[in-house]
Amino acid sequence: MAEKFDNLEEHLEKFIENIRQLGIIVSDFQPSSQTGLNQKLNLMITGLQDIEKCRQQLNDIHVPLEAFEYIDQGRNPQLYTKECLERALAKNEQVKGKIDTMTKFKSLLISELGKVFPEEMAKYKAIHGDDPPS
Amino acid sequence: MTEIFSTLFGQSDAQAPPSSAALGFGPGKPPPPHPQSAAPVPPQLSGQLGDEGPTARKPGVINEPFYLLRELPVGNDLTGNTNLITHYNLEHAYNKFCGKKVKEKLSNFLPELPGMIDSPGVQDGSSLRSLIEKPPVCGNSFSPLTGALLTGFRLHTGPLPEQYRLMHIQPPKKKSKHKHRHHRPQDPIPPETPSDSDPKKKKKKRDDDPERKKKKKDKKKKKNRHSPDHPGITGSQPNSNSLR
Repeated sequence: MAEKFDNLEEHLEKFIENIRQLGIIVSDFQPSSQTGLNQKLNLMITGLQDIEKCRQQLNDIHVPLEAFEYIDQGRNPQLYTKECLERALAKNEQVKGKIDTMTKFKSLLISELGKVFPEEMAKYKAIHGDDPPS
Repeated sequence: MTEIFSTLFGQSDAQAPPSSAALGFGPGKPPPPHPQSAAPVPPQLSGQLGDEGPTARKPGVINEPFYLLRELPVGNDLTGNTNLITHYNLEHAYNKFCGKKVKEKLSNFLPELPGMIDSPGVQDGSSLRSLIEKPPVCGNSFSPLTGALLTGFRLHTGPLPEQYRLMHIQPPKKKSKHKHRHHRPQDPIPPETPSDSDPKKKKKKRDDDPERKKKKKDKKKKKNRHSPDHPGITGSQPNSNSLR
């Protein structure tokens, strides 16, 4: 799994480095730099071909669009992961709170109903058992 | 209409289980006024009512005198009752991202990337969203440039105009780091004797003192040991206690 990403990362790094060097050549162009520029241009195409090849290995990878929004805003995309985890934990705690409250309510209701309708509750317990599932 | 009714009637007849009394109290059936005196429901009617409610009870179980009684949910289902972060082994990720402060800027995530990457992509049209919404029109494959095609890339000699020199602009943070490294050895004031007039420097120095830190830690530990509320659990856990 990690190999696929390492491969893509390596190709992207090479591509970025090539672009950076291309930028340096172009920023102060000299006639003697033409051969180097041509080489870099073709290297850029090779780099794009290599990245294209990685696509087949990464077909099953899904990136949430929200993560792209973070990148577009110049923000660290790890903040998205952080917020997702925090939201998941908060929701998890909220749901657990609801379940706990409902469980308490159920046991209280059963005990109170047992006082008022003892016969019926005995029958109910015979069907569902004494211990309510948590 | 009668045909439909008869087919339904026929089906319910065929599917009717032996215990008609059990099906008589289907979940979709409204409670009659006198449940104790209620006569056993005929199998035809019970079958019809059973079709309405998909959550039928086990055949053969008599749930008298209860109406609308359903099977209790199986306790093995994964619900919010369990700590899902622990369940999916995401504690490491949680501690990594939520335990410490994650730096805000994109350049902190991709420090090796040249150029100004912290500015919004909409400004210079480099946003990923625009790439998705309007994909570039291009062919299916990348082919190398031949000699004739390369003639289109003959450039004028000389430096680029200022506004196009984006590749050399680096985030300011990197620059300041670089400056610090260079200035430290040339600094006329030795680092051991900071001037009293600079309170910020003094404060920083105090915090950096390792002995002082150690003493503070020991004091804290002692306090925690003696306090009755000492939980003995590290604070970085994702509230694992509350969800177990």
